[in-house]
Amino acid sequence: MEECRDHTGLRSAEIVDGKLKLVLNNTLAAVEDGRIEIVRFLGTLDDMAQNRLEVLFEELVTNTIRHGFSTNSDQSIHVQVERGAGAIKLTFEDDGIAFNPTLANVPMSLASADPSRLGGMGIPLIVKLSSSLRYENLSPGGDGDEFHPRNRTIVSVAT
Amino acid sequence: MEMQHSDLGNVRKIVLTGRLDTAGVDLIETRFGASIVPAGRNTVVDISHVTFLASMGIRMLIATTRSLSRKGGKIALYGATPAVREVIDTVALTDIIPLADSEDEAIGLVAG
Repeated sequence: MEECRDHTGLRSAEIVDGKLKLVLNNTLAAVEDGRIEIVRFLGTLDDMAQNRLEVLFEELVTNTIRHGFSTNSDQSIHVQVERGAGAIKLTFEDDGIAFNPTLANVPMSLASADPSRLGGMGIPLIVKLSSSLRYENLSPGGDGDEFHPRNRTIVSVAT
Repeated sequence: MEMQHSDLGNVRKIVLTGRLDTAGVDLIETRFGASIVPAGRNTVVDISHVTFLASMGIRMLIATTRSLSRKGGKIALYGATPAVREVIDTVALTDIIPLADSEDEAIGLVAG
């Protein structure tokens, strides 16, 4: 188990059963803090696979923080990173507004996309650069401080 | 993220260095637009030292291209690494902003 980092974007980082588990805070600093932990965990990857993984991570985390969370809330994103046979699997869980990236409208081309909408460009990157993409809408429940995710998004990047 | 600009005759040249991610765009977006749009000149952007490109960077490039277009100017990119090139191809960015292999080719694209 690794220590918690004193970075504003990262609530905790630990390795459990060979999987990296991150808890990211509701701040865009989470993107860079989380990325550093993932790079450290995975070590050297093929340049293209590394870039695809970082694009997916950036787009999914920023979309959740910008569009799924309330500003300045104590919400968090739980990310699990694991190596599989020929692929890296990332699992994102959050308690923000329900959002299914597999059903999102993907513009046919950028010429028709509205750049004022962040998702207009992020979603095609998520859909096209992942080797698999799955979404589960969960039923949040319970009380107190325990984390109850509403969204679970699972993406894989071939290595 | 760093940015430098210079002039090649009547063409403005911008050199971007670093990651065009959310944090990088926050650092340079205002300066990038201010270095290109007010002058209204054709512009080439060297992205050979851009190590990462995601949607925020794409949005910055498109917004600036559209603003410059309203003043009659054009932008071309050049020198993308294979990883950045894959992102550009994935979203068909070249439908809006041409991508060249070299500076000379990029200058030819904005001059044409």
